This record gives sequence, structure tokens and C-alpha cells, in this order.
Amino acid sequence: MISAIDTDALLELVWAAPLAVLAVTVAWSMVVIGATRASEARRENRSSAAALNMLLAVAGGALFAAAVVFGLLVLTAKR
Amino acid sequence: MDSDIILVIVVAAALAFDFTNGFHDTANAVATSISTRALAPKTAVTLAAILNFVGAFISLKVAATVASGIVDAELVTTTVIFAGLIGAIFWNVLTWYFGLPSSSSHALIGGVVGAAFTAGGAEAVFGNGLIEKVIVPALVAPVVAFLAAAMAILITYRMVGRLRPGPVNRGYRLGQIASASLLSLSHGTNDAQKTMGIITLALVANGTLSGPNPEPPTWVVISAATAIALGTYSGGWRIIRTMGSRIIKMDPAQGFAAQSGGAAVLLTAAHLGFPLSTTHSITGAVLGAGAAKRLSAVRWGLAGNIVIAWILTLPAAAAVGALTYGVSRIFGTGALGPLLISVSLLAVLAAVFGKRLRRGPALTSPVDT
Repeated sequence: MISAIDTDALLELVWAAPLAVLAVTVAWSMVVIGATRASEARRENRSSAAALNMLLAVAGGALFAAAVVFGLLVLTAKR
Repeated sequence: MDSDIILVIVVAAALAFDFTNGFHDTANAVATSISTRALAPKTAVTLAAILNFVGAFISLKVAATVASGIVDAELVTTTVIFAGLIGAIFWNVLTWYFGLPSSSSHALIGGVVGAAFTAGGAEAVFGNGLIEKVIVPALVAPVVAFLAAAMAILITYRMVGRLRPGPVNRGYRLGQIASASLLSLSHGTNDAQKTMGIITLALVANGTLSGPNPEPPTWVVISAATAIALGTYSGGWRIIRTMGSRIIKMDPAQGFAAQSGGAAVLLTAAHLGFPLSTTHSITGAVLGAGAAKRLSAVRWGLAGNIVIAWILTLPAAAAVGALTYGVSRIFGTGALGPLLISVSLLAVLAAVFGKRLRRGPALTSPVDT
């Protein structure tokens, strides 16, 4: 028979996976909200609101990209 | 000479399994994207095939896990591995025919376990290894993916619920392209390496490779990546239909939540070195994204059939693996048994698919077959 169950790794899977999907979902939702509201604000000539919402979209996009890159780095780092 | 012939047959069978793994699991990466019209069917499978190929080169950790700890390497021969692969291919083709998403990983491990059990008795199979390295993670995967996707869709609806649906849907369709790409990449990372692991196991059994933790040779990595990419490109449209529209009718936000949930679980699992089932993860995520919106939105009868297929996977593949090994041994320990079985199976497959192809493309058309 072989070694005991790797409970640490399993527990890590249980908390890390939902955390990762939470980060990705919130980040992309920021992109969607920011882009949608910025578009509406531009149509209504509210330039400061458009700029703020665009900033939200860019921040969400950056977070989303960072989450994806982090996932890939984690994957490639542990061989 | 005989052992080299068997090794060639095993490598061919492993690559055939890898191909079936690709077309069987295409649905995992592309079904939700196709269903929500985030991607056109052909574009989706092409993208998935390319990223599966790339993903196969990212990490070799899962390959090392598959090749050790489940069956006793001392008692495993190339004939055992061949029989295991036949069991896995049989189950993949059967479940594809019925449009049921099932785990190629379970089928592969089940086939090898059945053949090893017949060859070496109960001592050839590490019960603890099977439970601890395969069954427990595979049970955890759909539950974690279900919860992750359910949480993701609830947060998503909370965040974007008051916005106009048009731009929101367009936004999540765009997000789905990214999440489908990530899922395809993680599928390549996870699943191509199972074939690499099994070929490595065969090379060790044949004496071609040695050492406590042998790495798959470069030709193994490249051929496994190519086989899974070709299989993915072929597209298993029956399962795509089940995963994309029969379990739940999903909107782009649900598709995004399901894909993100599945990808997160698979990437984390690959990081930890578990041979996790892509199918269990993404199916759990699809169910979670549907159930969190409305419990009655999920076709639970179909979900029940899928779970039954999951439960049957290991014993059914094991039974075929055991039978294949038994039949093979009737012809002795040489290459004759595996050779005759391979030729017979190829003839059966040619007859079945030849008949099907005369009526229209079986694997290559997005039209439901």
C-alpha cells in the first residue's frame, strides 16, 4: 500500500479553486459593468462618468489578465 | 522482438485512446461557448485543438502521477497496459455514442486496473492509491466545481443584474472566449499527459526506460499532444449537444461562470499533480451555474444518467480490460494476442464507422448525429 492521502493538497484544491473563480468572475464583471456604463454615459455626454467607468473596466481587465497569467505561472512553475 | 512489437501496438493504442479522449472531451471546452453563440462551432473546435496541443507542453506533473502509485509497476507488462487501453477506448466510444460525458481518466485507470488485476491478482492493484489519488479527487472535483460555478453566477447576477441584457451578454460572450481558451489549455495540460504517462509506463515495463521517476521522452510528448489536438478538432458533437444545451439552457453569464469554474478547478488540480477528470469538473460547473439560477432549470434526469455513467466507468472499463487481457493470454505471452485483438477491433470500428460515414460525417459535423 502507498502513502496516506494528501489532505493538504486536497484542502488547497477546495479553497484555491473557488477563490480563483471568484477573482476571475469579479474581475470580468467589472469589465462588463465598466464598459456598459461608460458606453451609456458617453451617449448621454457625461464625460467624467464615462471616464470613471472606463477606468473600472480597465482595472477589471487588468485583474482578469493578472489572474490568468498567475494561473499559467503556477502551472508552469511546479513541474 | 515480440516485446518490441507489443510496445509498438501499445503506443498506437495509447495514441488512439488520446484521440478518443480529445473528441470525447471537446465538449468540456467548447460546448458552452457554442451553446451561447460566443463562438462558431468550427472556430471553437479549432481554437480548442490548438490550445490542447500547446497545453500538453506546459507541465509534466500529471504524467508522473498517472504512471505510478495505482498499479504495481513490477507486475505490469505491456500486455496489461494494452488491455487497459482497449478498456478505456471501448468506454469512450460507447459513452460518446450515447452522448454522455464521462471521464476518460477513469476509463483509462479502470482499464489498467482490470487488466492488472487479472494478470497479477489483487496485489497488482494499490487499493489505497486508487482511492486516494483517483477516486477522492474525482469525487471532490464536481462538488468543488459545482460550488465554484454556483458562487460565480450568483455574484455575476448580483453585479450586472440591473444592466441592459444586450451589452452584458456580449461582454460575457467575449469573456467566454477567454475562459474557453483557458479550459482548453488546462485540458491539454491535464489529459494529454495521461497518455504520456501511460506510454511512459509501457516504456518502463518494456525496459526501454528506467529509474524511479522516469520523464516522458520528447517524441512521447509531441505525439500525445498531436493526437489529443486532432481528436479535439474532430469534435464529439453528440456530447457537445448534451453539455451545451441538454443539461441546462444557459445564458452567456452562466456559460462564463461554468467555464471559469471548470478551468479554475482543473488548473489548481494540475498544479497539485492530481489526474483530475476534466469531464467531472466542467459538468459539475455546468450543473452549478444552472442550479444556482433556478433548481428546476437543470434536467436532473439527464444529470442522473450522467452520474450513472460516471459510476459505471471504472468497473466497465476494468471488465473490458480484464477480458482483453484474458483473451490475449490465450495466445500466449507474445505479440500474437494483442495483434489479433487490434486487427479485430480495427475491423469492427471500420465496419461501424464506415457504415455511419456512408450516411454522413460521424465525428466531423456539428449537426447532431
